[in-house]
Amino acid sequence: MAIEYKKNLAVFHDVVSVEEAEALLEWLQTKRTAKVDLTDCVHLHPANLQVLMAAKPAIQAWPTDAGLSAWLESALVAR
Amino acid sequence: MNPLLEQFLSEARDGLQDIGEKLMQLENAPADAGLMNELFRLVHTLKGNSGLFDFPEMTRVLHAGEDLMDAVRNGQAAYSRKLADRLLDAMDFIGMLCDEIEADGVTGAAHASVSVHLVKGLRQLMARDEVAGIAERHLAAGITDDTSAIPAAETAASLAASLAADLPLATIPEPARLEAYRRASAGEPLHWLLYTPSEQCFYQGDDPFFLARQTPELLWGGIEARTPWPPLADLDAYCCVLDIHLLSAAPRILLEEQYRYVADQMTLTPVSRFALVLPQGDANGGPVYDDFVSDARNLLAAGDLAGLARNAGTMLELSSPDLWIASALRWLRLVLETEPENRVVLDALVDSLSSLNAPDWTAVLAGWVEPRATHPADPPPGHDHRPLTAAPIESIHEDRPRVDESQVSGDDGVRSVLPILTTAEAEALAAILASQREILALTDTPTWLPGRLKAAAAVLSACLRVSGATDARPALERATATALAENTGAALLAWLDGQFSSSTSSDTRAKEEASTAPVAIAADPPQPWPQPEAESEVKFGRRAEDAIAGPKSLKVDQAKIDRLMNLIGEMVVAKNALPYLAGRAETVFGVRELSRDIKGHHAVINRIAEEMQDAIMQVRMMPVSFVFQRFPRLVRDISRKLGKEVNLVLEGEDTEADKNIIEALGDPLMHIVRNSLDHGIESPEIRRAAGKPAAGTLLLRAAQESDRVVIQIRDDGKGIDPETIKRKAYAKGLIDEATLERISDQEAVNLVFAAGFSTAEQVSDLSGRGVGMDVVRTAVEKVNGTVALTSERGRGTHLSLSVPLSMAVTNVMIVVSDGQLFGVPMDSVVETVRVPRAAIRTIKRSLATVLRGRIVPLKSINALLGLAAPPRSNADDELAVLVVRLGDESVGLLVDDFRETLDIILKPMTGVLSGIPAYAGSALMGDGSVLMVLNVREIL
Repeated sequence: MAIEYKKNLAVFHDVVSVEEAEALLEWLQTKRTAKVDLTDCVHLHPANLQVLMAAKPAIQAWPTDAGLSAWLESALVAR
Repeated sequence: MNPLLEQFLSEARDGLQDIGEKLMQLENAPADAGLMNELFRLVHTLKGNSGLFDFPEMTRVLHAGEDLMDAVRNGQAAYSRKLADRLLDAMDFIGMLCDEIEADGVTGAAHASVSVHLVKGLRQLMARDEVAGIAERHLAAGITDDTSAIPAAETAASLAASLAADLPLATIPEPARLEAYRRASAGEPLHWLLYTPSEQCFYQGDDPFFLARQTPELLWGGIEARTPWPPLADLDAYCCVLDIHLLSAAPRILLEEQYRYVADQMTLTPVSRFALVLPQGDANGGPVYDDFVSDARNLLAAGDLAGLARNAGTMLELSSPDLWIASALRWLRLVLETEPENRVVLDALVDSLSSLNAPDWTAVLAGWVEPRATHPADPPPGHDHRPLTAAPIESIHEDRPRVDESQVSGDDGVRSVLPILTTAEAEALAAILASQREILALTDTPTWLPGRLKAAAAVLSACLRVSGATDARPALERATATALAENTGAALLAWLDGQFSSSTSSDTRAKEEASTAPVAIAADPPQPWPQPEAESEVKFGRRAEDAIAGPKSLKVDQAKIDRLMNLIGEMVVAKNALPYLAGRAETVFGVRELSRDIKGHHAVINRIAEEMQDAIMQVRMMPVSFVFQRFPRLVRDISRKLGKEVNLVLEGEDTEADKNIIEALGDPLMHIVRNSLDHGIESPEIRRAAGKPAAGTLLLRAAQESDRVVIQIRDDGKGIDPETIKRKAYAKGLIDEATLERISDQEAVNLVFAAGFSTAEQVSDLSGRGVGMDVVRTAVEKVNGTVALTSERGRGTHLSLSVPLSMAVTNVMIVVSDGQLFGVPMDSVVETVRVPRAAIRTIKRSLATVLRGRIVPLKSINALLGLAAPPRSNADDELAVLVVRLGDESVGLLVDDFRETLDIILKPMTGVLSGIPAYAGSALMGDGSVLMVLNVREIL
């Protein structure tokens, strides 16, 4: 699994594909105070990104991949 | 290659061919609406089909062609030779793409620029307002107009665009902007790219985010939601509602290549680097800067840039990096570093430091000319808070002169409505209205849409107030309310059209488009284009069912037909074995009954096989129009290149012959036609001087004569001068002196067929290489054809090609001589007779006999073939004579005996045997033996 769901934390690994979005959405719908750890993520499909943008979970850690991190910050940091 | 693509390619070729033909016909009858409709339909179909595949360049060009045809069809653009030229060029381009797709399966992105160029050329031909209308419609339809791909001058337009368009550049973090500025000042182009993936794109396997991350020379990128997020419970994760913005320093062409598959979802806007200079931060606090500003001004005036940089550095250290002023100082340092000579910009930055306002670059740069830039255009009023694409910008530029012209020309709608305005005011008003119209026609739905609508409404309201038409205010307010409720600009646009309808009366269509397009979108977003097909069908009163009855023909791969042909050939051979079998049954096994039965069956199988053979031959038959159809274009192009006027007359295009024969005729005919145009037909002046009509006539006529097809090419040009030919041939060593004296004019003319012959003094790109007529003769003879040339000086030249209808199956008569079997093609056999030895006379050393009152020379086939045996007679002392045709004469061949006639598949001699001209080829007999077929013409 590219997303590892812990108690209140979703850890993203490697490339998160489009198939993960459904499960991620369901998980986020039940966890109002969810956190997301993107450290090891190198790419995520925009479907997942949409879910994150809509659900606005707390981002516990940004990706180590600087390029991806810049993109995600533009989308996920509330302006 | 998948079957769908294969079919598309084959259809595209047909379509292109048809388009070419229709264009040719239109040249003669430019006013023919039916032809025009058909042409439009062809282009339209082709475009639609191309959309099934990933050939953005092809679709783009076809789209432009379609628009142009539509404009012509509706009378908005005039048909002209130029138009035909450009369309033909465009179709050639498509043809080239087809070839490439066939070879590689893909089209190279390198064609993008060519396609853009072609599109530009096509669009230019449309009336100016038409362009604006189309652009507007595209914009309204959310389609990236192809014109956006035109490398808009990254000068005035880019400056104006990025300054005026108010791209959300401020959202880009300052370091990214500083970097972008640095690279732009080093000469790299900056582009703002807005990528709006379609909602369904996830289902198509797209990953827009990945695509965006791969953007070349990416400087900064951001993602936004198109609409506010719904409650999490209602969210559809697989409906893409993201917008991707990015700033790239890659050239336009690279960006277009990266996004070529989603070109319709992407807009590119050139960005001026100055638009990036937006100091940001806390405007309050920090040290007092007045001293610094006055120092800086002095330093600037003194040209002490190093000092200025030092001061700015010190100042920066003193200021908190979050301050607005610190940001401005960073920009100042960057400009000092990258473009120290750019005083205008430096001045502006220093000014902004004192005023604590971002420099107003529009004003600053108004008088400043960048090395390769022109004056930036003023931003059109009301262009706030919306990202402008290159398309609308262009259309504005296209648009404005139009409005102005309409004002100047006195067709002054605004004034007639609002008589109190001066001309200048009316012009300004018209420009404002045009801008509002465009804003309202935008179909993107940014979060600030209500704000945009309100702004437009406010502008319109102000227009009303200024023009004194205050009584229209309530209607405007109503329209505004409706527009806000519906969240589209349609209502306001409708009001605008109603109120100022006559303002665009110079072109009613533009108005119509402006008003219909958005309405159509509101009703049915996925199909913003009116369906022209449907329109034309309605026009012709056709019912839908009628259209379904497609052509009743099949497209079959030629290889399949060839296979059938081979199979029937084998069948014929196998069938021919039956008589031998019958013979064996009778002679070897002595069963007469069985022998008769076998013969009876052979007759039946023979009949079926013959019919089958005939049917397959029919399948392979093609009309000569297949080769003729390319000539109108060829003649047109060449004659225009040579400055000659030529009428091409085609006759008998439906004459049919075997596909191989027809194809073999293509090149020879091309050579002949070129020769006629280049050497035969004179230029108009010379023709007039010679008392001939200025336009020469080139006639191509095909006709069937028994089992041959005769193609005649006749021109009324200057003909061939036998003296010149003789001299040239002698000079080139093709004939010796004796021949030079002896040969007749007709023979001399035929010297043009000799290899290496050329009369042209200079090798042109059309002819003169001395291979032309030689190639013609060789190619025609390869398919058993003949060429005859006659020419009359000053009157013209006449070439006649005679080729067989088919070359697959040959009917031969089998003869026996000296115990061997030979085949003689039935084509040349006149009759078979048995002549009593007494009736044969010897005239000198030749034999002859009298047949039906005519003297027929006799030759012994044994003697001709070098066989020592004398002809054998039968029991009644009669000799077997096979009378064959040789040109116009008949010749009798003395053979030992006649056998049956046979259908054979003639295999030409190959290898070392191919050098023996006495034989036309060989064939396999039913009993497995090999039959040699004589080439009667050669042995006699």
